[in-house]
Amino acid sequence: MTKPVHVLGAGAHPWGKWPNRSQLQLAIDALAMAIDDAGLSWPEIQGLVAASSRFEGGMGWGLHANEVVQAVAEQGIPCVNVGGACAAGAIAFQTAYSMIASGQCDVVAVLGAERMPKGFIPRPPGSQDDITDSDYLRWVAMGATNPAYWAIEANRRKHDFGTTDATLAQASVLMRRNAAGNRLARFRNPTTIDEVLASPMVSDPLHLLEICPVSDGAAALILGSEQYVQRSGKRPVHVAGCAIATGQFGDPGRRIPTISSTVSDDVSHTSEVTTAVQRALAMAGMGPNDIDILEMADNTAWHLLAWPELFGFYEAGQGDWMLNNGKLDIGGDLAVNPSGGFLSFGEATTAQAVLQVCELTWQLRGEAQGHQVPDARVGMSAVLGLGANGGSVILKT
Amino acid sequence: MQIPVAEGLFAVNGAGVQLIGTRCCSCDTLYFPQTPGCRNPLCRDKQLEQVLLPDRGTLYSYTVQRYQPPALFAMDAWSPYALGLVDLGHGLRVMGMLDDVPLDKIAIGMALKLSLRTLTTDENGQSRVTYAFVPDTTKDHA
Ligand SMILES: [Zn+2]
Repeated sequence: MTKPVHVLGAGAHPWGKWPNRSQLQLAIDALAMAIDDAGLSWPEIQGLVAASSRFEGGMGWGLHANEVVQAVAEQGIPCVNVGGACAAGAIAFQTAYSMIASGQCDVVAVLGAERMPKGFIPRPPGSQDDITDSDYLRWVAMGATNPAYWAIEANRRKHDFGTTDATLAQASVLMRRNAAGNRLARFRNPTTIDEVLASPMVSDPLHLLEICPVSDGAAALILGSEQYVQRSGKRPVHVAGCAIATGQFGDPGRRIPTISSTVSDDVSHTSEVTTAVQRALAMAGMGPNDIDILEMADNTAWHLLAWPELFGFYEAGQGDWMLNNGKLDIGGDLAVNPSGGFLSFGEATTAQAVLQVCELTWQLRGEAQGHQVPDARVGMSAVLGLGANGGSVILKT
Repeated sequence: MQIPVAEGLFAVNGAGVQLIGTRCCSCDTLYFPQTPGCRNPLCRDKQLEQVLLPDRGTLYSYTVQRYQPPALFAMDAWSPYALGLVDLGHGLRVMGMLDDVPLDKIAIGMALKLSLRTLTTDENGQSRVTYAFVPDTTKDHA
């Protein structure tokens, strides 16, 4: 019998480029805000789970949680460092959830903090320069950048459903409009379809303003058991479901950095994420119709059209109509990324999934100043990471 | 002298260019590039053999790479080029450069065949070559 788990506090450092702030400083700031938001202090934190990055911090070994406690609170608590690339934040959440649901701990903090390198993400040291390493082959054999993978999906969507360039651009327009009211977002100027389509073509049909850049940022959550749920005096937010998953054999998605796939017709596209979403929904005893807000990884405009369809919110191909008729707006049938999404934040890889859950928490409390979804009761997150990692969290008031 | 971008990726023989893959004899699944294991969770025996893959297919989707990738990708006289995702049949979809077709004449569903593309040539005349897909003008495959 598992115990109920609640979100007690949320905190995030604004996203941007912060050359004068270390990854550790961003992490400490986000954690301090989350602990304060929960009405708690460090001695009450019984565990810290950190999404570990290979870019900066973590004492060179991905020990991000250990580095934080050694900087601000050496108190003997378990420090868990989890990998999962861009989905690491969701895996950290899942781990902290389990520590509380099992009854082992009452208050556990979740952290994701990232400073991204400039330019292209370098291959990890020690990689093989031969056919055993897809990340080598995709460069030497064809120069396939990440946007090329997403663009191949987007072009196929244009072929299958007649998606227009203007509709893809509209997805970026919506994200910027939402971000305009969110003080944490990096790109907050509203844009237009014409402006998006006039931005440089990166990988046909995707333009620069339809692809998320990278940013620095940090986000933290405090999860707790029943006895702590009233501590802050804020509207309680409950974890209704959470799940992580990996990919299925036969997935037709164009998985970075592979150069081929063996595809089966009966397997879901982006199965690592759809499986996580389905598991989270099953755990919550909910269906897509119960969800008011979806915070999802919009690495490109294409993702905003395709992912809600893959999750079963509506039929394949219907996303264009939903977007163009305001159904995905704040106040629409399904508010998609009221935060402004990755397109307006830029991706601070391992921090992103934690930020998604912070956003859902603020929305469900009615604290999302400037971009509040009216009467939001249930919110879902969905994220994808390298290695076919998927994660999803469902919160409810 | 032609040097492949990676050993074991493709073969050039009398029949032309063919990709080197793996077939799982136990569950009849094709993989590219060669793989150390069969990823099918329902496959028990996972008996693998090296195979030359079909050299013709159809374009499933594509993009045009408009800016220069990082230095690991080397190409003389760089200019935007197309990347295709090509259906080789048997559930196998392979990414590769598209060649010999104007960027505005690429169409999903077009018939393609494997070819070689020279990426760089040094002062000694040594070239680095990769596989690429070009329009299949014969179109006589089923
Ligand atoms: Zn097999």
